[in-house]
Amino acid sequence: MSNSFIWWGIVIYIVISLYIAYLSRSGKETSMSGYFLGNRKMNGFVSALSYSATTYSAFMMVGLAGLTYRGGVGALGFEIIYFAGVTLVAFFGPRFWLVGNKYGYVTPVEMLGDRYNHKLVSVVIALASCIFLIPYSAVQLAGVGYLVEGMTNGGISFTTGVVIATVLAIVFSFIAGIRSVMWTDSLQALLMIIASTIVVLLLIQGLGGFREFFGTLEANHPETLTVPGKGFWSFATFLSMTVPWLFFSLSNPQVSQRMFMPSSLKSLRTMLLGFLGFGLVYTLVSVLWGYSAIIMFPGLENADKATPSLLSSELVPPVLGLIVMVAIIAAAISTIDSIMLTLASLFARDVYGNLRKGVDERRQLAIGKMVMPIIAIMAFAFAELQLDLIAVLSVASSAGLTVAVPAIIGAFFWKKGTAAGVIVSVSISGILVLILEMSAIKPFGLGSGVWGLALSTVLFIVVSLLTKAPTEKATEFIDYVNSELKQKLSPNKP
Amino acid sequence: MAKRELFWGFMSILVILSAYFIPYTVLTGVERWYGSFLLWILVGVVVIIINLFITRNWRS
Repeated sequence: MSNSFIWWGIVIYIVISLYIAYLSRSGKETSMSGYFLGNRKMNGFVSALSYSATTYSAFMMVGLAGLTYRGGVGALGFEIIYFAGVTLVAFFGPRFWLVGNKYGYVTPVEMLGDRYNHKLVSVVIALASCIFLIPYSAVQLAGVGYLVEGMTNGGISFTTGVVIATVLAIVFSFIAGIRSVMWTDSLQALLMIIASTIVVLLLIQGLGGFREFFGTLEANHPETLTVPGKGFWSFATFLSMTVPWLFFSLSNPQVSQRMFMPSSLKSLRTMLLGFLGFGLVYTLVSVLWGYSAIIMFPGLENADKATPSLLSSELVPPVLGLIVMVAIIAAAISTIDSIMLTLASLFARDVYGNLRKGVDERRQLAIGKMVMPIIAIMAFAFAELQLDLIAVLSVASSAGLTVAVPAIIGAFFWKKGTAAGVIVSVSISGILVLILEMSAIKPFGLGSGVWGLALSTVLFIVVSLLTKAPTEKATEFIDYVNSELKQKLSPNKP
Repeated sequence: MAKRELFWGFMSILVILSAYFIPYTVLTGVERWYGSFLLWILVGVVVIIINLFITRNWRS
């Protein structure tokens, strides 16, 4: 594709997104929950689209297709396990939502600090989230860089792509906080699902229709329809990659924070079901892209080139290819800006607000806004380094965040859980994940996420049993949730 | 946890376990679209149905 063609696509996307972000403003937000949670009044449909855009990053569109190209159907299973894990929102969503409304929590980390009755719980988990999520944002930025550079054959440089993505992520977050992010996310999610579905339909049609499409795969590449297939998806690999993914909806604060935002349980339901509908289509589309590339370009050296190869093939009209490319860039930005907002709220409220006494909401918000560009610049710096380390840390990020899962589950279901249990389990297991990832050691063939989760579960339980639980707070918190749930979710109530 | 939640929690775990074990046992030799490919899509559909049931009483 020519440079000017791509520039036009990017410019049109920027203009439309900025307009939507501008429209989403509703007066000046001065409170933390206004800026970071949309005053807990987000409607279900926008929440669903935004949740989808935040979760499905550029990694998915390029990465899942690439993973299918490389290892076959196991990639579908890997993403379906994540998908099944979103059912956790059906159990934890109402609980988060109820306590968020009652106690006014802005971040999930703040909730844990209050529930375990110790500020250090918030500080430790907030810092761990920053350590693991900044590299994850960096990978998104790098993805944009590689994509524009690849599709223009170097005409638009890696750095230009990264700069565009960084600046847009900052601008979208600044215009109206979470409101502008959620509305631009929604635009992006709609664009992405429509364009990518059209592409997959064109590809299957171009390759002879459904019957011939799978007929070719069954005849020429039968190993791509089973696991372990060619051997990539050994059960140990499948388990190692899916365990952190299964708990993603709880462990990643940029998505678990979304459970505080819907205006009602009904909106929360729309968010969850809407996301599931979107997610299943999108998962299928990405996997079918990978299969199309197996049929059309069986000899690619780098599996991540599957998507760019398809988009520039003769089966995809250039305008559609351009739209999908812009959608992928937008997917990366929508993931980064949500992470930036979440990390800013974590830092302002849970680190700064806890370590300095007497900080009011206004000051926290100002700090949060100051921190956002700093986070973006750190992600930018990481992306620019173009180190292997980034890839290492991006895998580590989902594994690293999983170590907080026992503490989150315990908050709602185990009155004996203690602050010491949380702090010890999160910090020691987090360090273990980092060590395993950096040294690339896989004891018994299992990845860092499996070991991190196992160790943090054991530590959380053992240390909690050895220390004194905040009985009063735990009882109040858990009993409140249970009685409200009983009342709100009873099937007989009109 | 209410009994209803426990029931659906149990069902979800069952579905997730089947998504792990069936493709790696029964379906390892089925090199057809109706093997693991179809199974995992069906798991996705069942997950949506389970979520529809769990959230049935969520009101505004």
